[in-house]
Amino acid sequence: MDILEQLTGIFRDVFDADDLTLSRETTAADVDGWDSLMHVRLVIAVEKAFGVRFSSSEVASLANVGELADAVARKAGSRA
Amino acid sequence: MTSFDQRAFFKEVAACGDAAKGLRLIADAVRRRQLDAEGMDKAGRRCAATFTAADIVAERVLLLGQCTTTWVGTALTAVAWGEGRALDVVEGTYDNVLQELLGANPAIRPAAVVLLPWNKRLLASGSRSAAERVQDELDFWREAWRAVETRLASRIVQVGYDTVSPGALGYGLGARGGGDVALVRAVNEGLRAALPAGAAFVDLEAVAGEAGRRSFYDLRRYHWTKQPFSEQGVIRLAEHLSAALRAAIVGPRKVLVLDLDNTVWGGIVGEVGPLGITIGEGPDGEAFTAFQRHVKRLSERGIVLAVSSKNNDADAREPFRTNPEMVLSLDDFAQFEANWEPKAVSLRRIAKTLQLGLDSFVFFDDNPAEREHIRQALPDVAVVEVPEDPAEYVRALDQELWFEAVGLTDEDRIRSEQYRSEARRRDEESSYESVDAYLASLEMVADVRPIDDADMDRVVQLIGKTNQFNLTTRRHGAAQVRQMLAEAGAVGLTLRVADRFGDHGLVAVAIARMEPAERTACIDTWLMSCRVIGRTVEEFFFNQLVDAVRGSGARRLKGEFIPTAKNGLVSDLYDRLGFERIGTDGAGRVEYRFDCATAGAVKTFVRPKAAVMGAAS
Repeated sequence: MDILEQLTGIFRDVFDADDLTLSRETTAADVDGWDSLMHVRLVIAVEKAFGVRFSSSEVASLANVGELADAVARKAGSRA
Repeated sequence: MTSFDQRAFFKEVAACGDAAKGLRLIADAVRRRQLDAEGMDKAGRRCAATFTAADIVAERVLLLGQCTTTWVGTALTAVAWGEGRALDVVEGTYDNVLQELLGANPAIRPAAVVLLPWNKRLLASGSRSAAERVQDELDFWREAWRAVETRLASRIVQVGYDTVSPGALGYGLGARGGGDVALVRAVNEGLRAALPAGAAFVDLEAVAGEAGRRSFYDLRRYHWTKQPFSEQGVIRLAEHLSAALRAAIVGPRKVLVLDLDNTVWGGIVGEVGPLGITIGEGPDGEAFTAFQRHVKRLSERGIVLAVSSKNNDADAREPFRTNPEMVLSLDDFAQFEANWEPKAVSLRRIAKTLQLGLDSFVFFDDNPAEREHIRQALPDVAVVEVPEDPAEYVRALDQELWFEAVGLTDEDRIRSEQYRSEARRRDEESSYESVDAYLASLEMVADVRPIDDADMDRVVQLIGKTNQFNLTTRRHGAAQVRQMLAEAGAVGLTLRVADRFGDHGLVAVAIARMEPAERTACIDTWLMSCRVIGRTVEEFFFNQLVDAVRGSGARRLKGEFIPTAKNGLVSDLYDRLGFERIGTDGAGRVEYRFDCATAGAVKTFVRPKAAVMGAAS
């Protein structure tokens, strides 16, 4: 399963929405209920799932799901 | 132990068509601590969405914080549901505590308001002195309490302040003068002292200390969301809030039922004998001793203790009699059930004897099979998840928070003692040949006095809550009682009784009003606590009442029996005392008459206090 697929599973879980689909271009504006508090929950869930940790500035700089996936890949990969 | 798949669990909950079943699954998962922080949040949201569909009426709780309360509300809903209580937690806007209270709709009164401060202003840099900062915070919360009292009249759960780190002065200096730690402690002391009666205080310093501030707080989360608590911190805070709400609204649980083998001592007494059990010496022995000491202190505080053990009764009692290391004694227990029946049977018996509901019981047993049995058979009983290591028993019992209370009254301490002396009395009762011999052996002494102001609270309390031994069930308030007593010739009496085993306190009230022209005293109120029924205490009281009304100039007594669903016990009391029936109406009310000019005293085994005091001891 690639990172985008895994992220989709995580997002579906956190949003409680089985039909949610993600692409690299998806942003917060595209998903119902993705407010700042939901954003924090997503980041924490992603951190738990991949065993990584984001700094505040890293989180602030992510523009879309694709950049999130890349950030995860960088952090998870660098621990291999 | 199979690992818990949270994702699959919530799919199962969503898939089961029945709202009630879904809620049951959630309650079980919460109780078993299977859900992580994300899961508790989901569980709380699911509960909130499903209560109405399942026809469950939830109690409204208003949660107002000076920090973000997101996740705390849902965790609280989930925790409370795991305890069997449905809450509808309404969260106020961030840091809008007073605005929310002043704008609240009084028609939608919450059962309780949870007030959650945060130290942002208290610890801000600036020129205000330490004393001024503390005063600012206390003034704010006094305003909040006033708003709750005047607009909502709800119970209050006030959380305290805390620091995340000791501040610029460090640990040592921070605790002195104007340091951060000192400021927080000063505000908390001020809050505790000024808290309105009946409010619960959640000591955030103690809660955070229990977890360790490093794991209880998450500064990154605070910067992102203005909520300082970590995921685990949120859950632990929710558990304390649930306990505080319980303490403020329902009251603490009252009974602790203990197993014996490997719970209050190590080993199985039936196998190793009373001196072979592990207690006292050695690391395990010390742990069991510490647990017994802790339990004994709970009992001194007012928690009633009982035993439920799978053992022969004689074997189970031996260590208490012969092992010098035991801290608990047989006297400490209000009931001792050692037998081979299922423990649910014993617990039901204990509940019936103590006349306390199973929902006030806490069950502590090292055996997971017994714990599961009680969970299934008696879901109202709180079952402590007992860890394997006895060194952890005290912490395990404490952290479940079942005995959190708003205040400790003398009544609490006396209650435990009352149950124990009642138990001693019951044990004695069974070995007497005749009832008369038994009653005489009780050495009952009673003190009858006119109703005075000092007793008024207790008198009104008895008038309000006594149902069984109550002839007329008139629920007078203090003002009405005073009015009646002010009438010419009126007689109002209280009775206090003690016996060989203990003091029962003020247990009976009688009020008679005079019809002067007829020289007749009419008994308006006569009631007695069921604690002293069946011992000729009412006969003693009657003799005193007759003397008193004679002293007021009465030649006749009139009595009424007004039947209710609960007072069948006294439907023939006046007949037994020798009254004559003079009338009855269609609703079962009976009027009686008694000629007290010539009547002699009725037989009783109770002696008056004054007579006893004169005798040599």
